[in-house]
Amino acid sequence: MTTMQRELRLSLNQTQRVRLQSALQQLEEMTSLASAITVVADTIPVNHEDSILKGHGTSDLNGEVVATLCGVVERVNKLVYVRAQRARYKPEVGDIIVGRVIEVAPKRWRLEINFSQDAVLMLSSMNLPDGLQRRRTAVDELNMRSIFVENDVICAEVRGFQHDGSLHLQARSQKYGKLERGMLLTVPAYLVKRRKQHFHHLENYGVDLILGSNGFIWVGEHVDMNGENHILADQVSREDMADKSCVGQVTQEVHERITPLEIRTHICRVANSVRVLSALGFNLTVEVIVDTVEASISLNTDIKDILAAEFYVQTAEREVQRRVSLSRKKG
Amino acid sequence: MLQSKSFVKKTKQGRVVKVVREHYLRDDIYCGAPSCKVCDTSASRLSNSASTILIVDTNVVLHQIDLLENPAIDDVVVLSVVLEEVRNKNLSVFNRLKALCTNSLRKFFVFSNEHHKDTYVKEMVGESPNDRNDRAIRVAAHWYQSHLGENTQILLITNDRENKRRAVEEGISAETVESYVRSLGKPDLLDLVVLSSSADVNMEDVEDHRPSKKKVIYSEHKPMSEITSGLLCGIYHQGKFRVNRYNPFEAYVGSESIGDEIVIYGRANMNRAFDGDIVAVELLPQDQWHDGKSMIITEDEDDEEEDVHLAPSSADDAPRSVNPVQPTTESVPPVSNRPAGRVVGIIKRNWHSYCGSLEPMPMPAGNAGVAHALFVSKDRRIPKIRIQTRQLENLLDKRIIVAVDSWDCLSRYPSGHYVRTIGQIGDRDTESEVLLIENDINSRPFSTQVLACLPPLPWSLSSEDLANPNREDLRHLRVFSVDPPGCKDIDDALHCKPLGNGNFEVGVHIADVTNFVLPGTPLDEEASQRGTSVYLVERRIDMLPKPLTEDICSLRSDVERLAFSVIWEMTPDAEIVSTRFTKSAIKSCAALSYVEAQARMDDSRLIDPVTTDLRNLNTLAKIMRLRRIKRGALTLASPEVKFQIDTETHDPLDIGMYQIREANQMIEEFMLAANISVAEKILNHFPLCSLLRRHPSPTKEMLEPLLRTAAAIGLDLDVSSSKALADSLDRAVGEDPYFNKLIRILATRCMTQAVYFSSGDLSPSEFYHYGLAALLYTHFTSPIRRYADVIVHRLLAAALGIAKLPPIFQDGPQLTGIADNLNYRHRNAQMASRASVELHTLIYFRKRPTDTEARIVKIKSNGFIVFVPKFGIEGPVYLVPKGNNGSDWVVDEAHQRVTKVGTNIRYNILQTVKIHMEVVEPQPNRPKLQLTLI
Amino acid sequence: MEYVDSLTGFRLDGRRPNDMRQIRGEIGVVAKADGSALFEMGNTKVIAAIYGPREVQNKGQQANNQALVRCEYSMANFSTGDRTRRPKGDRRSTEISLVIRQTMEACILTHLMPHSQVILIEFLVHILLKFFMYFLPKICFLQIDIFVQVLQADGGTRSACINAATLALADAGIPMRDIVTSCSAGYLSSTPLLDLNYIEDSAGGPDVTVGILAKTDKVTLLQMDAKLPMDIFENVMQLAIEGCKAIAHYIRGVLLENTKQLECRRGI
Repeated sequence: MTTMQRELRLSLNQTQRVRLQSALQQLEEMTSLASAITVVADTIPVNHEDSILKGHGTSDLNGEVVATLCGVVERVNKLVYVRAQRARYKPEVGDIIVGRVIEVAPKRWRLEINFSQDAVLMLSSMNLPDGLQRRRTAVDELNMRSIFVENDVICAEVRGFQHDGSLHLQARSQKYGKLERGMLLTVPAYLVKRRKQHFHHLENYGVDLILGSNGFIWVGEHVDMNGENHILADQVSREDMADKSCVGQVTQEVHERITPLEIRTHICRVANSVRVLSALGFNLTVEVIVDTVEASISLNTDIKDILAAEFYVQTAEREVQRRVSLSRKKG
Repeated sequence: MLQSKSFVKKTKQGRVVKVVREHYLRDDIYCGAPSCKVCDTSASRLSNSASTILIVDTNVVLHQIDLLENPAIDDVVVLSVVLEEVRNKNLSVFNRLKALCTNSLRKFFVFSNEHHKDTYVKEMVGESPNDRNDRAIRVAAHWYQSHLGENTQILLITNDRENKRRAVEEGISAETVESYVRSLGKPDLLDLVVLSSSADVNMEDVEDHRPSKKKVIYSEHKPMSEITSGLLCGIYHQGKFRVNRYNPFEAYVGSESIGDEIVIYGRANMNRAFDGDIVAVELLPQDQWHDGKSMIITEDEDDEEEDVHLAPSSADDAPRSVNPVQPTTESVPPVSNRPAGRVVGIIKRNWHSYCGSLEPMPMPAGNAGVAHALFVSKDRRIPKIRIQTRQLENLLDKRIIVAVDSWDCLSRYPSGHYVRTIGQIGDRDTESEVLLIENDINSRPFSTQVLACLPPLPWSLSSEDLANPNREDLRHLRVFSVDPPGCKDIDDALHCKPLGNGNFEVGVHIADVTNFVLPGTPLDEEASQRGTSVYLVERRIDMLPKPLTEDICSLRSDVERLAFSVIWEMTPDAEIVSTRFTKSAIKSCAALSYVEAQARMDDSRLIDPVTTDLRNLNTLAKIMRLRRIKRGALTLASPEVKFQIDTETHDPLDIGMYQIREANQMIEEFMLAANISVAEKILNHFPLCSLLRRHPSPTKEMLEPLLRTAAAIGLDLDVSSSKALADSLDRAVGEDPYFNKLIRILATRCMTQAVYFSSGDLSPSEFYHYGLAALLYTHFTSPIRRYADVIVHRLLAAALGIAKLPPIFQDGPQLTGIADNLNYRHRNAQMASRASVELHTLIYFRKRPTDTEARIVKIKSNGFIVFVPKFGIEGPVYLVPKGNNGSDWVVDEAHQRVTKVGTNIRYNILQTVKIHMEVVEPQPNRPKLQLTLI
Repeated sequence: MEYVDSLTGFRLDGRRPNDMRQIRGEIGVVAKADGSALFEMGNTKVIAAIYGPREVQNKGQQANNQALVRCEYSMANFSTGDRTRRPKGDRRSTEISLVIRQTMEACILTHLMPHSQVILIEFLVHILLKFFMYFLPKICFLQIDIFVQVLQADGGTRSACINAATLALADAGIPMRDIVTSCSAGYLSSTPLLDLNYIEDSAGGPDVTVGILAKTDKVTLLQMDAKLPMDIFENVMQLAIEGCKAIAHYIRGVLLENTKQLECRRGI
């Protein structure tokens, strides 16, 4: 049996191994979708009398519909497609994503978002620091680096594909923009489901959690929802830095704005919870994450031990219970 | 089905490398007992009613193989661990065991215990490989016992006391070989049992009978570890131990490390090594390097002097030259610079069984029937062997086969055991069989499987054969054959047709053996094993069954036969215009003998078509021959003898040199041409897998004796190339007509023999045939009696696209193996023929003491070796009586002559002397031919 | 040397002539990669990692109309008994890289990832002015990188690499026509042998490596550097194809199990 331990290499002892296996076994028994599972080159049974549309992950071989991916066969009306798991992110318009700037180009930024190509964020598709709606001038263009530079982490929304096939993003809202004082985690994109809400404020911990549809997850210090000030302030400080090049003032400012230790530990705890869940291959929803974080606290688990074998197994077992109770509720 | 177990092995290849190999254990290995309920019994080999199944251990196989080969022993399980150990320790025993296991008449079953999941044994820490293997054998025996249940007894046969004790402890019944054989109640089997000196307690009292028990005669062999380290640091030298065929107290070890041969004198220095063993040798200090001035008579009292034998025909047969090649540096006369050494250890034994007879001895009185006797091998290179027998009186006057078992340093002679009897000593049939056995020639009748491959008799040309588009109908041609009188296996025929343009169409038609001998059949396997037909004086041992040899393939006159033809268009100057190869159907119109053909050509009154063809062919052949000689082909000579045999008693009536006529040379010429044409064709098509024949150029050292002789008589020979040698041989004309022939004979014996090889193994420059001065050569023209020709036929057919190339040609090593076997068989066949001639010479002279002329061919310090042209034999003539070393004869190396001190009596090399030939019997049952000077 | 025991019919390691070595495949062994797999055939062990599809890094290599597949084969220094330092990109590894690349290209649906409309624009740009290119949107082509490394070599490495790459590609969610599998077969001691190990491989006999598309029964790879008569060759190749099919069956099982697990764990 191949146990999935993509990111964590754990040394389980005998009992832990048995517990983990039984937990995973139960999970497997709970979900009965074996028929819908397909692997590459399998024929997908379809009723040929109905006209069908072959969607993503399928192809035609001598009149048969054949899967070209491993995954789950999904049927939506006439459309038959294969939902793959560990593939790269497939953007859809409106997705909220987290990305990292890799290049500052004329009038645009390029972002790495776990898609097969780089995404483009046009200067024109984002709100200016001054918050005014106006034509972008050459000056704005020259000041692009004062907004985002390389390696900045950004939250944005998928605007759509342009005619040349490139993917464009937009960030025309207060909630989008640069993310600071936190951690970026990358998980397989299929673990993040599209939901109404991708921004979460975990009030107990003073932590913001952004679940990017592309599998990039941001865990950072909470920023006030009227974060305009925040960004603005930041901008000002940068400009100050550029203009005055007054070192003392900057260090002082940085010092002032240091994140409290408590928040930082919370960030780490949440991040590790996300890590353990993704290592187990469980769906990442805010509920599960919070649940895991709470469990880690109630079990008095050290932050570093969240990634250790025992908690790993416990998380699997908790997930089993969770799903059991869920199905009971439904039942 | 597959279970994997990796194990770690260390091999030494200069450095230590850790080798990990997979080892699969399986559950689908069957026990081979037909009564088994669990296993698949379709492949079972053991007998149905077997109440006892024997499991033998490695040492039992290694030492008691003769016993195992006896049909009284059956229902034996051979474990793969035993098989593997036997293979590593002694390949010849392994091959015999393998033959036993594949023989459908014997009930030997191979059980791969190493791959069976229940019988695989992992080496334990601190356990030696031997102990591990013994344990594996016990585990397998145990498995068998529990697998087959109580009805069958599993008996472990081992001579190892410890192993036996443990087996009994583990609940396996175990016996020693001796007690098992005793329990069978067949006393004659007991002679076959080898009594190993170390294994058994109850044997020790028997051992004590040995006379020389107390005395250490030979120095102890060095342990293997010391030998390996000694070899590494260059103290010892490794090589194959070869005993001088003419002096068993002298041996050579060709050592690569010093690039020269190390001479070993005397039994003590030989230290129990046998001919063919791989040994480790230590060099003696230089002052002990004896001068190689070879004495014919040697040290030990129980030795025989040099025999009269057939004159050698090539360097391979001739006695090795021992004389140092160093007449100039005479500063330290008694010390030669030929390194001498002594054997310190034996790396690999080459023991097998030997033919011979028991040394005459009185019957022991009042013994319980067990007698100790000394066995004297026919092969002089083998020392006497001590054996134990219960049937002494039976064996005393018999030729018997004996196998060697051991030789410890306390005993002067190795000990062995009796294998079987051949027949009465001196009886011609017995002696013939002895020489066949000695030369490893299979003279058994063909098996039924082989005979089943023959086409139904009587065979005749069928319409399908003619309908074959690849077969040309050449029955209209006037084809005839010329062979020695009485020849029944006619494999070549010729035709010659004048063409309109003044050219000739010349065809050589060779029996189409491959049409009947198909690759992969038992017939083919057998022929490939036999390699060649063997011609003895009174009989012929065929490579192919008689119906093929004498009828179906033989191109007899007035019958339609299948042939493989080489057809040339030749100009009247014998230039080949075009060459064509085809399978054909022919009808020979005359089967002539050489004498007949010669007579026809010489009789100018005859103008019938066949005679005209003969004359045309002869004219062409003469031109071809001349051209070949111009190119540098050597006209060599060998003293072939011809016996006239009494048809009733098969005793020789007369003896004489074989006469070579023009007709012989004519046939030879066309055969050579055909062979060369075929060689070119097949090499062109299959540059990597053609079977060719090459003749290496002789080296300087090989020609040394010839040059020395030539220098002594003032003859100048140029040996720089074959052409130069041929020319100077032509110039060497002495005062008498036989002189030239003698020189040629001497030259011939300096050459090595031509050998077969696969073209993929050598570079094209090495393909050269020195004697024929041909760039390429092969054998195509005698497929009935040589397997090489069969292979070449197949190659040629494949080259023409008529047939597919058999897969064996894809397998380089296998092809090399075939070529090696052919060379081995070819050589053995020649040796056997020579031995047969020698035997008949002896029989001939037994009743006819003769005076005749002889020529001195080699000078020795106490006599000389003479060659008797009339009978083609060679032997020593002693000037000094045996045992008298204070010789008053002086050898002059430079002039190759002996002079009696103070007198004018001297003998020069090549001088003619008168000798008397007589058969004497110095020991009973050991007749030999003696030459004395008149 | 006798590679098939004439008495017992077993090969040196206890297999029968048409037995394969034990095979094992594991998915997801390289965390960073988009797809990865480990594949073992007996003692031969290879690891494959897939990166991509991602943007072409070196624009000179971009292919028209389809994604670029690149492959790099290497042997770890410790993969063989004697630890020799191999120069990177020697002839042998270049050749095997090429072989694997071509084999995998045959099954990856590379045409699903082109951006053909861009080509026209770029073409125009070349004709017009290079200067304008700066203002035009950056043209995007995709590439897939396959890295295979031999961790332990015991014969049949190229087959194992292809099998590992197939698993890794499926893991990376790259659309494929079919499952490609590969297996070798040889001809020693006049017997066709399936899946040669190192000793048999170095015996110098013919070694036929076959790669097939399992479902469609098409050959995508066929290599042999020796001569064999046609009829024997066909037997040997047939044996190798049988081996490929057995491997395909196994690989399919591994993928199915893996997909099932991922899906089950993810929950709904």
